[in-house]
Amino acid sequence: MESVIRPDKIEDGIKSIDNADILVGIPSYNNAKTIGHVVRAVQGGFAKYFPDKKTVLVNSDGGSTDGTMDVVQSATIDSLQSILLSHKVNPFVRIATPYHGIPGKGSAFRKIFEIADSLRVKACAVVDSDLRSITPEWIELLIKPVMEGEFDYVAPLYQRHKYDGTITNSIIYPLTRALYGKRVRQPIGGDFGFSGRLAKFYLSEKVWETDVARYGIDIWMTTTAIANGFKVCQSYLGAKIHDPKDPGSDLSAMLYQVVGSTFDLMDTYSSVWKGVEGSETIPTFGFHYDVGLEPVAVNLERMIDRFCLGVQELGFVWKDVLSPGLFDFFRDLANPCRQDFAIPDEAWVDTIFSFAHAAHRKTLNREHLLRSLTPLYIGRVASFVMETSDSSALEVEEKIETLCKIFESKKKDLLNNWD
Amino acid sequence: MNIIERIMVEPFERFYEKLLVFLPNLITSLILLVIGVLLGIFVKWIFHRIFRTMNLDALSQKSGMRDALSRSGFREPLSLVLSRILKWLTIITFIIVAMQNLSIPTVEHLIDRMFLYLPNIFIAALILILGYILGNFFGRASIIASVNAGMTSAGLIGKAVKATVFILSCTMALEQLGIGKETIIIAFAIVFGGIVFAFSIAFGFGGKDMAKNYLRKKMKEPKGEDDEIDHL
Repeated sequence: MESVIRPDKIEDGIKSIDNADILVGIPSYNNAKTIGHVVRAVQGGFAKYFPDKKTVLVNSDGGSTDGTMDVVQSATIDSLQSILLSHKVNPFVRIATPYHGIPGKGSAFRKIFEIADSLRVKACAVVDSDLRSITPEWIELLIKPVMEGEFDYVAPLYQRHKYDGTITNSIIYPLTRALYGKRVRQPIGGDFGFSGRLAKFYLSEKVWETDVARYGIDIWMTTTAIANGFKVCQSYLGAKIHDPKDPGSDLSAMLYQVVGSTFDLMDTYSSVWKGVEGSETIPTFGFHYDVGLEPVAVNLERMIDRFCLGVQELGFVWKDVLSPGLFDFFRDLANPCRQDFAIPDEAWVDTIFSFAHAAHRKTLNREHLLRSLTPLYIGRVASFVMETSDSSALEVEEKIETLCKIFESKKKDLLNNWD
Repeated sequence: MNIIERIMVEPFERFYEKLLVFLPNLITSLILLVIGVLLGIFVKWIFHRIFRTMNLDALSQKSGMRDALSRSGFREPLSLVLSRILKWLTIITFIIVAMQNLSIPTVEHLIDRMFLYLPNIFIAALILILGYILGNFFGRASIIASVNAGMTSAGLIGKAVKATVFILSCTMALEQLGIGKETIIIAFAIVFGGIVFAFSIAFGFGGKDMAKNYLRKKMKEPKGEDDEIDHL
């Protein structure tokens, strides 16, 4: 039915497979508790939607100590009849291998791209290893647009809680949309489909020693696909429910890597985005349905305190980045530190463009600049939470749409100051 | 007559002879001085242009050095400050050569000693400059990290880091100059160790409850207090 290639026999295993039609990659690090479900969903997806294709599952592991790779090798759907399958299914190969290089999701993806390239696959997908809501349908939705629709890149589209994905909603989505003109709603979603051709292109880029090797990989994949003219679409996958975030994960490091990668890409592709005006929708696949979402706890008081502390202590950094008017606005907002403040969309867009401009001009040490954005980002999230406390998901989406339009309308200011 | 000649004329003759030997040296020294001043002006002009072409001012702005210079009272750009330093180095070099050219043994001896000591001054100055730049850099890094960690004493931490790095560089510079070598190291160790010890005692006695609360919070933080926002 299926074969397992052990980590010490990867090279020989790949040679013996020779080629494949579809590859699904799962990056992991100590995800033994959740990865079994993801592997079974992928197996179900292969069996249900691609029974006659040659399929491969690759787990690229960052040195787990909890037996993640063992779970990958052993997890299986006991009976395919349980997912209402009775037709003959082609065997699938599973490879569990550790990756080398900078520890991070990007390095894990690199290994997946390398194997995809060696096997000359037609379509690939990558899915997170901590997903609880993944179903076999995700594999169909991420792979079929590539196999049958001639798309090169499939971004995910999720239904998320109004307070989730705040870096996406307040910075990455509006900024990417305004810059490159494509409305990819979840540019850093984490679960993507792409063609073998695009995997080869990704591999040829010399970015694997930068922040792209860490959290920056998602925005890099999306932007590289759009900016290089690959055909892009998105698929509605339903709710994204995953393991609770690691309490030790550092927000400022996350923000630094994601926003830093986005700003770096602005330099790389300045000739592309300078000529783009407005934005357009991209083809969307999947049946849209509403799902119940778990409530998200927010400690508003602590957020506001962090923002005020930032304004109080980091003024000497921001005065070289923000315009005097904007700097005074934030100072007045935090003095005295009130619990009923608001950072309007216009001020937020000006802030992001100011930081992008400062990163481009190298006004300040890059890490200091980007990490100093954290208190302002927290302030903006607090303002957004207060503003949308009584709003429905649809109303929140409308607010994000308004923010995107302001990003687009103010793009000319960014352009005027860029060179 | 002979006595008068010996008392009055001979010293004047000897003075005259010495003056004949000294005067060309003096004139040469004066010429060297003028050349030194002119060359200094030229060096300043040419290096100012080179530094500006190298975009040194933008680099200093990026590294935080511009801010550091500005806070130290240097309002001019780094390219101008450096070219001025080079100008004065050129002039001082020519002054020393001119003084040595006078062939006055005392002056020569002093210059020799100064020359032997000069590298120490140069290295000490370099250590101080580097210490100041690193102090600003690490001070800024620690204040940003402390703010992001939500520490209300972020400003104090930043200043403390900055001061510690600078004091350390001062100690190294003084050691390089050979001023109270061991005294300075011992003094630094006592002051630094004392500060750490004072903090330990203060935290142990004064902040006993605070430490207990902090550790309890760290070990068993109630889940409800954390945000559950998935930022990505």
